[in-house]
Amino acid sequence: MTATPQTVKRIALRVNGRGVELEVAARRTLAELLREDLGLTGTKVGCNRAECGSCTVVVDGRAVFACTLLGVEMGGRDVTTVEGLAREGELHPLQAAFIEHDAVQCGICIPGILMALTALLDTTHDPTVDQVNHAVAGNLCRCGTYPNTVKATLAAARALRQRHADVTTAKEAR
Amino acid sequence: MSVVPRLLVEGEEPPRRDGPLRVIGRSVDRRDAREKVTGEARYSSDMKLAGMLHASILRSPHTHARIRRIDVTRAAALPGVHAILTKDTTEGWHTYWYMIAQPAFPEAIAYAGQEVAVVAAETLDAARAACQLIDVDYDVLPAAVTPAEAMKPGAPLVPVLDVERPREGNVQQPVYVRTRGDVERGLAEADVVSESRFSLPTQYHVDIQTRCCIAEWDGERLIVHEASQGVWNVKRELAKSLGLREDQVRVVVQYMGGGFGSKAGAQRVVHYTARLAMMTGRPVRLELTRPEEFVSHPRRYSADVTMRLGARRDGTLTAIDADVVLDIGSGSLYAGRYAITLHQISELYRCPNVRIRVTAVYTHTSPTGPQRGVLDPIATFCTEAAMDDLAARLRVDPLALRVRNYAEHFQAFEGGKDLPYSSKHLDRCMRAVAERIGWERRDRMRDASASGPRRRGIGMAAYCIERGGYAPFSAKADVVLRPDGTITLEAGVVEIGAGQITILPMIVAEELGVEPARVAIHHGDTDGTHYAPSSHASRVTSEMGPAALQAAALARARLFALVARELEVSPHDLVAADGVIHVRGAEMRAMSFERACALITDDEIRATGSRAPNPDDVVFRLFGAHAVEVEVDVDTGELRVLRIVASHDIGRPINPKLVESQQYGGAIMGLGYGLYEEAERDGRTGVLLNADVHQYRVPTSLETPAIEVDNIEGEDPYYPYSAKPVGEAPLVGVMPAVRNAVRHALGVGIDALPLTSARILDAIRARDGRHAG
Repeated sequence: MTATPQTVKRIALRVNGRGVELEVAARRTLAELLREDLGLTGTKVGCNRAECGSCTVVVDGRAVFACTLLGVEMGGRDVTTVEGLAREGELHPLQAAFIEHDAVQCGICIPGILMALTALLDTTHDPTVDQVNHAVAGNLCRCGTYPNTVKATLAAARALRQRHADVTTAKEAR
Repeated sequence: MSVVPRLLVEGEEPPRRDGPLRVIGRSVDRRDAREKVTGEARYSSDMKLAGMLHASILRSPHTHARIRRIDVTRAAALPGVHAILTKDTTEGWHTYWYMIAQPAFPEAIAYAGQEVAVVAAETLDAARAACQLIDVDYDVLPAAVTPAEAMKPGAPLVPVLDVERPREGNVQQPVYVRTRGDVERGLAEADVVSESRFSLPTQYHVDIQTRCCIAEWDGERLIVHEASQGVWNVKRELAKSLGLREDQVRVVVQYMGGGFGSKAGAQRVVHYTARLAMMTGRPVRLELTRPEEFVSHPRRYSADVTMRLGARRDGTLTAIDADVVLDIGSGSLYAGRYAITLHQISELYRCPNVRIRVTAVYTHTSPTGPQRGVLDPIATFCTEAAMDDLAARLRVDPLALRVRNYAEHFQAFEGGKDLPYSSKHLDRCMRAVAERIGWERRDRMRDASASGPRRRGIGMAAYCIERGGYAPFSAKADVVLRPDGTITLEAGVVEIGAGQITILPMIVAEELGVEPARVAIHHGDTDGTHYAPSSHASRVTSEMGPAALQAAALARARLFALVARELEVSPHDLVAADGVIHVRGAEMRAMSFERACALITDDEIRATGSRAPNPDDVVFRLFGAHAVEVEVDVDTGELRVLRIVASHDIGRPINPKLVESQQYGGAIMGLGYGLYEEAERDGRTGVLLNADVHQYRVPTSLETPAIEVDNIEGEDPYYPYSAKPVGEAPLVGVMPAVRNAVRHALGVGIDALPLTSARILDAIRARDGRHAG
């Protein structure tokens, strides 16, 4: 378009467990980087100003809004998106619980909600209802899935605790 | 006159299936849940086509203006710009919304933000930069941004977007009046007349996915990917607008991120996109930004309503008089009388004397249109709030007042015929919510010594809304069985998040005696399907359901004919269940469904089901009730909704967990409407000042109270398996129940929404002011 050169930077980061290297324009957001440069369209952009939460991803363990982070700041970081939750086709317990408890309607807010909750469950293994509600307080869902979001998350937390207990038991048995 | 209920399909009622229901009533997982939780689901905004251009809209900064001159020279010269649309290059071109014609680029501007030009360019940056380079000279004109201003003599006329709508000044014609009996006599006969005035606000849909469409044209066919609730509506509207044959237009929507009524017809933006694609020969993408969503797409009508209820001492209603002034913005009150009848005011209770007057006023604000529930939330709020006000005047229990005036059958307006409802269990709904909320605690709560600032209250509301299918009643579906055993349902509906593509295969599976997962569904595509209504107005279950059921039953009958020959029995002796077709009473004489399909000698068995029009000797309505417990802090005005109990008269749930999701979602959107969402408009320009989702507050998880649902089930054979629609009803009754609970807590009714703490404090002061001195 115009002749103004854009500042471009080469960065290396991890996305869903894989190393990625690419050239990023200075003003590109992390959401644009994920969706357009890497084709990971699971992350959505509903407002582009950190107000709806549909762009939530996990960066170095923390739930953040990808629409207001610059791609160039992501060098050396560990980014997880909704595409990184399932392992080799096997759904994460949170994803499975969302299906079972019908915490999904039109689905557009779901990737952001799942990532906000992943960050919660990674650090809080037995969350209260209050903690779940606060974890997704920044994720708007106009379909109104919130009551089932809570049920699904508590069920997923139970499943994860059970899985952890099974692994621990198995280790101890050896 | 006897009314024989029957499934509403064309031709013969389909052959009945045998035995108890095996699929209907199961909480089967959503068909597309996996794609949605893995991020695989591709919404229109996720799509990228090779060579795609990007479009941006230039909007009027003025509220009311006339475009004197547009000069696109500088914009067109910008590198990367491919095409520009303005009124100069599109004279006589109309867009269609619900088949209402609107000029695509009118010379007259009716609201700040109305489209003036659209640019298609290589990049979004280039398109936006080009918009900035378009020179527009406006004659700025005075504006009327409220109904009061717009109705004044000599008020500036709103250049309404809708073509050919009769008007007198800024008032749409006719002013709508519907009567029954003699309301003035009814009011005169009353021992008590209770008058209330209500102010109901606009509401914005706030779909989390903004409008986004991609159109491509190959010289012969237009293919459109949209965030739409109805592919067939869009197809027909685009074909008409662009002068194409319908078979030249294909619309595809597999996933869409929320509509709630705002996306059921073709948007103006999809017309622009399509035309740009045809002009440039390149795919064109147009996505609205979040502020543009607020500025331009149609929103719920706001209303000022005066209700007068007349009653005898014993609580029997003698008159209901409603005077409604609707602000319909700069147009797009969609087709027909239905949208402005608010007739449920006259139906919810038994009353011989009724008058409803509706004045629809144009203002220089953004267009209005249907939003989940349309006018039902307004009608229900006013009726139910007025009933509680009347109960207070009469010093009777509000539930008892409702029961006393229960309407057993449909009461027509003047010139109409009283008729039976297809089914009505509202009395059981009201009893259920009263029981669950602990209605008997109500009187004790008022008597309890009021120490401290917190007051609790319990309130309830009932609703009655018209849903159950609409003209043109042309829904058709095909069920196809192939020799390899595959089963496909071809239904042109769009999955909007309510579970359309989950329940329709369930219906087919029930009829064929197979597991739902075996039924594939080809949906959301105008290629390969018959006309289907948009997924709005709670109509898919009641219109597509029967069509899918009939198609499946007819396919089953033709398969049975093949199996019968093979097993040497009569087709009437066959039963399909659990994936097997067997002889009734002789289960061993059987074959699997796959084996039966292998008998198909032609390419396929294809059967079509068609919805028939609604009969005129019965009335279809949805009923339900809510009871709510609240706590109000009289010092701060803070309102906490502690608990919502809902009971909806749903017939039979096809999929209970999907029904529950609609009932939660509708209630939460209703709470948003009544408690949190408030459009702040500049009084002079009508511009929305809080055009973002931070300041326009839709409910989050933190605003969601405990919601319990205890539905009432019953037979209603007009619906598929008696399954009544559920998408909108749950929104309608929540707010009046909350308002009535607050009335109970405070002893005063609040008549303007949303129920902010400021309004609550004002009401308390007014109440105390009245009692002081």
